[in-house]
Amino acid sequence: MKDTFRGGVHPAGHKELSRDVPLREFLPAGEMVFPLSQHIGKPARPIVKKGDAVLVGQRIAEADGFVSAHIASSCSGTVKAVEKRRVLGGGMMECIVIDNDGQFTPAADYSRREDPDAVTNDDILRRVQEAGVVGLGGAGFPTHVKLKPRDPAAIRYVIANGAECEPYLTGNDQLMRTKAPEIVEGLELVLRLFPNAEGVIAIEDNKPEAIAAMQGAASGKARVSVRAMKTKYPQGGERSLIQAIAGVDFPVAKLPADVGCIVDNVGTLYAVQRAALYNEPLYSQCLTLTGEAAANPGNFIVRVGTSFSELLEHAGGIKAGATLKKALAGGPMMGIALTSLDVPIQKQNNGLTLLAEDPNELAERQMTACLHCGRCATVCPMGLLPQLMADAAVLGDLARYEKKLYGLECIQCGSCTYICPAKRPLMQTFKQAKSEILARKRAEGGANK
Amino acid sequence: MNTALNLSSSPHARDKWTTEFIMRVVALSLMPATLVGIFVNGVHAFLIVLCAVVAAVASEFVFDKICHKPDTWKDGSAVVTGLMLALSLSPSVPLSIPIIGSVFAIIVVKCCFGGLGKNFLNPALAARCFLLISFGSAMSTYQIVDGVSGATPMALLKAGEAVDITKMFLGTANGVIGGSVLALLVGGLVLWAMDIIHGQICFSVLIAFTVSMGLFGGQGFKPGFLLAHLCGGGVVMGAFYMATDYVTSPVGRLGQTVYGVLIGVLGALFRIKGGAADSFSYSVISANLFTPLIDTYVIPKPLAFRRFRQHSWQEAKKPLLERIPRPVIVLTVITLIAGLALSGVYSMTKDTIEDQKRAASAASYQVVVPEADHFDVDAALDEAVAALDGNVYGTSFGRATINEVFVGKTAGDEVAGYVVSVTTADGFDGNITLAVGIAPDGAVNGISFTELHETPGMGMRVDEDAFKGQFAGKNVPAFVLNKAGGSTEDNQIDTVSGASTTSGAVVNAVNAALDFFHTTVKGGSD
Repeated sequence: MKDTFRGGVHPAGHKELSRDVPLREFLPAGEMVFPLSQHIGKPARPIVKKGDAVLVGQRIAEADGFVSAHIASSCSGTVKAVEKRRVLGGGMMECIVIDNDGQFTPAADYSRREDPDAVTNDDILRRVQEAGVVGLGGAGFPTHVKLKPRDPAAIRYVIANGAECEPYLTGNDQLMRTKAPEIVEGLELVLRLFPNAEGVIAIEDNKPEAIAAMQGAASGKARVSVRAMKTKYPQGGERSLIQAIAGVDFPVAKLPADVGCIVDNVGTLYAVQRAALYNEPLYSQCLTLTGEAAANPGNFIVRVGTSFSELLEHAGGIKAGATLKKALAGGPMMGIALTSLDVPIQKQNNGLTLLAEDPNELAERQMTACLHCGRCATVCPMGLLPQLMADAAVLGDLARYEKKLYGLECIQCGSCTYICPAKRPLMQTFKQAKSEILARKRAEGGANK
Repeated sequence: MNTALNLSSSPHARDKWTTEFIMRVVALSLMPATLVGIFVNGVHAFLIVLCAVVAAVASEFVFDKICHKPDTWKDGSAVVTGLMLALSLSPSVPLSIPIIGSVFAIIVVKCCFGGLGKNFLNPALAARCFLLISFGSAMSTYQIVDGVSGATPMALLKAGEAVDITKMFLGTANGVIGGSVLALLVGGLVLWAMDIIHGQICFSVLIAFTVSMGLFGGQGFKPGFLLAHLCGGGVVMGAFYMATDYVTSPVGRLGQTVYGVLIGVLGALFRIKGGAADSFSYSVISANLFTPLIDTYVIPKPLAFRRFRQHSWQEAKKPLLERIPRPVIVLTVITLIAGLALSGVYSMTKDTIEDQKRAASAASYQVVVPEADHFDVDAALDEAVAALDGNVYGTSFGRATINEVFVGKTAGDEVAGYVVSVTTADGFDGNITLAVGIAPDGAVNGISFTELHETPGMGMRVDEDAFKGQFAGKNVPAFVLNKAGGSTEDNQIDTVSGASTTSGAVVNAVNAALDFFHTTVKGGSD
């Protein structure tokens, strides 16, 4: 076991902006918007219609197929519409819009705790699925799918991902400091499903308080240990953690379960605990509002469906004297730039980073020809050669890109783009090449059918 | 809040390092070597550095303007090119040399191929090689600190003489401006520690070079010998600055190692087998040409495909042969085929080559003893030559060795004259071999060169009648080189202007032949 992976970069953390601000809950007042696709997989199917009354935790959309997730309402009120709304990323998506009555009347008593010993493995799996839990680390992969690998006995590690390697974000840090016992309990519930697995809580060493809290909560638990990881991006990437902890690398075509690993974000494990012991659906999560342009950076427990702008207004808006240049859903390394703040917070969102300066704007001015310095290859956690990949992609040699350079193994962590002294838009090129290759494959697949 | 938000693809964070910053650091890391060079060699060295840098930047600026390109001259790469070129020049070159070199490096090697990141050769090195070929004599004149011209440590090493390693290490020996190994090492190691240059390249160059020198150098792994070679002839400069040039070195770690080893091995082979003392430049340039090939074929498999173990779904361990990357096998096979082909061609043509050499020698022997009908071997003389054992002949003829002696005889079997073949190692550029024809009475019939590769237009002019005709018909115990010209005495030989080294070597060689004639041939037969 090592404390880190190969490659990686050290972007400025900026975590001091919000790391010591305690989590507090934010209850929105305005209308709530629930996009039907807040997870990887098929969008959910709405099961309410305009005029229906809903309560907090009530299911309003149903998973469509196995790889999909239920969506629960996070407020009480009346369904106003089921219509296309703008969502983050800039596109329009079918959404359920609910008129929030401000009462937050729960559909059931979510404070009644069940005896963990009375909860069976099947209960855990069923309740996680019912609760619509998805990966809260950012990807939004349905957790119940992850928890049902082909061979549960082959799982050796369940990794609780508390690395939070993304700059600026501190929500997991605060969550671990305040909800350590709950997270450990969530991990133990998951461990029950995998008899041969060891539970490892991985935390970057820039969060000593969180490490101490988790160590306290994990002490005496035979199957759970806490590991301090080196602070390096993308330490919290699924593959980086597996590389460091299990010592295994695996192709993109394989899942972590194929190499005997399950990686769950600490926020997800908290949601698993809530779902399994309290029957509470996932309708809120922690989110960091931060950045140089934010007046009061802080960590919030926000309700799914709240608009980013309402949260920002509540938190004091833009800092006096600062201009908001760029707003990111997530952190700067993998976050999505928002066209407008009037879009709803989705389940997998863990941050709103408000930048007063746009590094990419500056980078465009500093761009030079590629120096072939090879720094991109040095930092690539997958061991690829980004510079040659970019050359191949720009020349349109997609066969070389895919077959010789293993271009599709790129996990789009952005390390190469971050480090590039010539400020080349490497990852953008890779995203494009990837979608082009996949489109071609789909076209060929369609022609063959 | 009302202003539009910036949109772009992630990542939204960038490292502080820019192209300009890297270039600035590289230029700064060359400062110790530059300062030592200027301190040791004086103002002229400073002017050379200045001219090279200014000319490089100015060339790029002018090219940008003429071609309406964005201002790339500001990125600092031209400064680095100019600086590296200047440091690889002799401190006594005329100022036109660095200017011509910088213009060539920037305009021809860099800009004409598309500017930064597109050149296929290291511009500074390409310019150095260009200058070496075009301005051989100016480039190869090295001045010692006290103003006396002398051989560089590399030339001495090549000639098998002892050198002062400490001087070479500190940079006070004869050589290029950037000759201080210590200062270069300081800069290079800083760059390595900052992760600006790749250790895979510089260390594989040094290791491969040392090992090859030890294996093929003929002196084994003697530390003194290896250190002298490591400290001289730009090996350190080449390993840390020239070979690691970003554009002309491969990207992947594996490729970089292959490239480094190639440079090290080539550098050692060129140095041992090649004619020129500063062969390291050529080895780096040659390896530059392999970079695209390496980048195309030597691509490491991502970790995900390499570390197959521990899991059932993973491929079973392949047999050894299949685990060797394909490119390695392909390259090995190509090398084997090329090697076999070369040795095949050599062995097939070996006899022919020998025949032709012999014919050429015979022809030149005929030239210097024209009356001879055939040449005979004299057993006694042969024994005398064999007794010399290839050692330097005498003490006053430089490094001349006697190769063979023939007796030219007429059809009537009368002695028409003697031919003494002499090789001197004092040539400007390697060995000079000549045949000296001596009449039975001791008068020189004439001389003829069988091996001569001096600087064209200068040293090569010893082969012109104006020079070698001076020996014919003179019967003197020894000749003297007259640097002033306009000789009147029989024993005086006018030097070829600008090539006194070569002329002197030839005169010494002829004197060696005469001495051999008088002491051994005459002494033996009388």
